[in-house]
Amino acid sequence: MTWVGTLDGPMAVLDATPRAAPGRAHRTPWGEWLTGYAFVLPATLVIGVFGLFPIVYALYMSVHRWRIRKGAFLGLEQYERVVGDLGAFGVFLGGIALIGVAHWLWTDAFRGRPSGPMLARASGALVLLFAGIAFALGWQAMRETGDARFLLGLTRTFYYGFLSVPVQITLALVIASLLFQRLPGQQFYRMLFFLPYVTPTVAGAAVFRAMFSPREERLANTVLGWLGIDPQRWLFESRPVGQLLFGDLFARFGVELTGFWAGPSLALLTIILFGIWTYTGYNAVIFLAGLGNIPSDLYEAAEIDGANGVQRFSQITVPLLAPVTFYLTVLGFIGTFQAFTHLYVMREAGARGAADTASLVIFDTFYLRSEFGVAAAQSVVLFLIILAMTLLQSRLFGRRALRA
Amino acid sequence: MPELRSRRGAPRRGRVPVPGLPGVKAGHLLVYLALTFGALVSMTPFLVMISQSLMTLGETLTRAPWPASPQWGNYVEAWTDASFDRYFRNSVIITGTTILGVLITCTLAGYAFARIRFPGRNLLFTVLLATLMIPGTVTFIPGFLLVRGDIIPWGSWLNTLPALTVPFISTAFIIFLFRQFFAQIPEELWDAARIDGAGHLRFLTTVVLPMSRPVLTTATLLTFVHAWNEFLWPLLVTTNPTWRPLAVGLANFIDEAGARTHLLMAGSVITIVPVLVLYFFTQRQFTEGIATSGLKG
Repeated sequence: MTWVGTLDGPMAVLDATPRAAPGRAHRTPWGEWLTGYAFVLPATLVIGVFGLFPIVYALYMSVHRWRIRKGAFLGLEQYERVVGDLGAFGVFLGGIALIGVAHWLWTDAFRGRPSGPMLARASGALVLLFAGIAFALGWQAMRETGDARFLLGLTRTFYYGFLSVPVQITLALVIASLLFQRLPGQQFYRMLFFLPYVTPTVAGAAVFRAMFSPREERLANTVLGWLGIDPQRWLFESRPVGQLLFGDLFARFGVELTGFWAGPSLALLTIILFGIWTYTGYNAVIFLAGLGNIPSDLYEAAEIDGANGVQRFSQITVPLLAPVTFYLTVLGFIGTFQAFTHLYVMREAGARGAADTASLVIFDTFYLRSEFGVAAAQSVVLFLIILAMTLLQSRLFGRRALRA
Repeated sequence: MPELRSRRGAPRRGRVPVPGLPGVKAGHLLVYLALTFGALVSMTPFLVMISQSLMTLGETLTRAPWPASPQWGNYVEAWTDASFDRYFRNSVIITGTTILGVLITCTLAGYAFARIRFPGRNLLFTVLLATLMIPGTVTFIPGFLLVRGDIIPWGSWLNTLPALTVPFISTAFIIFLFRQFFAQIPEELWDAARIDGAGHLRFLTTVVLPMSRPVLTTATLLTFVHAWNEFLWPLLVTTNPTWRPLAVGLANFIDEAGARTHLLMAGSVITIVPVLVLYFFTQRQFTEGIATSGLKG
């Protein structure tokens, strides 16, 4: 790969062409250009029509009344129907952005000044407080005025992402570290752990439906029986996990556990388990590749310096794997925020929509209600939130990842 | 673990099991125990699927972990009575066509982005890569109107093979893979080919592609798995069984089968087997392809 002088930084990677030999580039190479355009034409056409054009068209649809056929221009009316007050939605997204600002103040803004650390922490904490307030207030106002179905779906999407991605990544790191011991049979174990990832999702979800059936004889309830716990309704259960676990305890104090802090429904939790089952092995394989890239000299040097296992793990392995962790976190959140197939297959009418995340609500708006315009507006909102989360994550982990 | 080493000269690694969790050095037995437990949990759904697919309806309603005598007839019933034969054929044709399309369009584009200079090249490549950021939940609605002929008057493609394949025959990620690989091919080879009077297309087909087995395999495997597993899009564009693929057929069968779990599990096994067979035979390329491409993507 030749690096061209005029392009530096990440752009240099874009230039993969070997530099033309000197003296060749005097006349315009029309034939060469034409060949280039002809070669990229088919792929560009397909991606342009089915990948790029739909984004623009989704925006266009979202500002028109569109039930099966196009109707009148509505401006932002449908967005208001979806997220409620647009100002509130702005405050909500601003809350996400402020978390990034707080992180910047805390780490970078006051670097190298005498009173830096104090100022950094004070201002960082203050902005983080504002971020929390903006996030909560924005959300509150959205809930009061927006589309309850969609916003509830968003809550469930958040549950799904925030409960499954950290678990997947932690488990995967443990498995990868164990596999990296290079014991005999390592390949075999790696293959077994990776298997769920290549399994067609519909088939995997079908089995999970059978395993987590409300019937007493099925696997999940059998296991609960061994532990002396009553059978559960799993995918049919719309009550939140917090209520099932601690409901009695809280009831004793005359408190009913509801709302956000009661947690996801048991139906959604079952789906979260499916997500963990599918992606842990994939994450472990990526971690394993990352572990292989850490030079062993580092560990040997640390061992000579008297670092113990915990120190080596936390001071060498974890920081050097930061880029991989960053990549997997971003990928995990993008994946969970737009997850569809297994949620669709595992939803039960009995759960009364307790596991319908935002992407399922969008599908229903489009497919069952034929409100194409509203569905397009909902999908744009979901996209904006995914985008904000990705940017925030690159702020939180990306810098550290790049440095490592 | 030599196969996961980076291509540019792997760093020296001792036999010391270094980056492990604290304490695991104490006993390999403990490591094996933990790994075996994890693997068992991970394998449980497959075991349940296989055992229930061989049970009688009555047995699926008990706690029996394994059928008294395997009911192979369940597979015959799913295959013929529940139209899995048709779905299977459809999936094979759809996946094959998609792979062929990806290999043709993405090798051409990857080659041009790596080795041909033309104005706007880097901009175009960046724009194409940006599509990887766009969630499918945003594109499926306009995409549906497109293939229904609402936007471009090319008639409705619903329930046809092109509707299921054309949108997938080029992806920015595969182009990216090819571009990375082709960029590493030595310039001297191109110089030699030019002296022999070869153009880009001949150089690509006679010199570059024969030495690109690894990346062609990775692209084929990735495309196979994606095409075989694709669900939301085929669900939208197949309103009748003519071209319905396995994934959608199986999802519909969940409702049709109702309490007949044994048939549903047989259908699930039929859906999974081709992917698993492919995975077992190409395990190394498969995992490496995903691991290395994952780290680069």
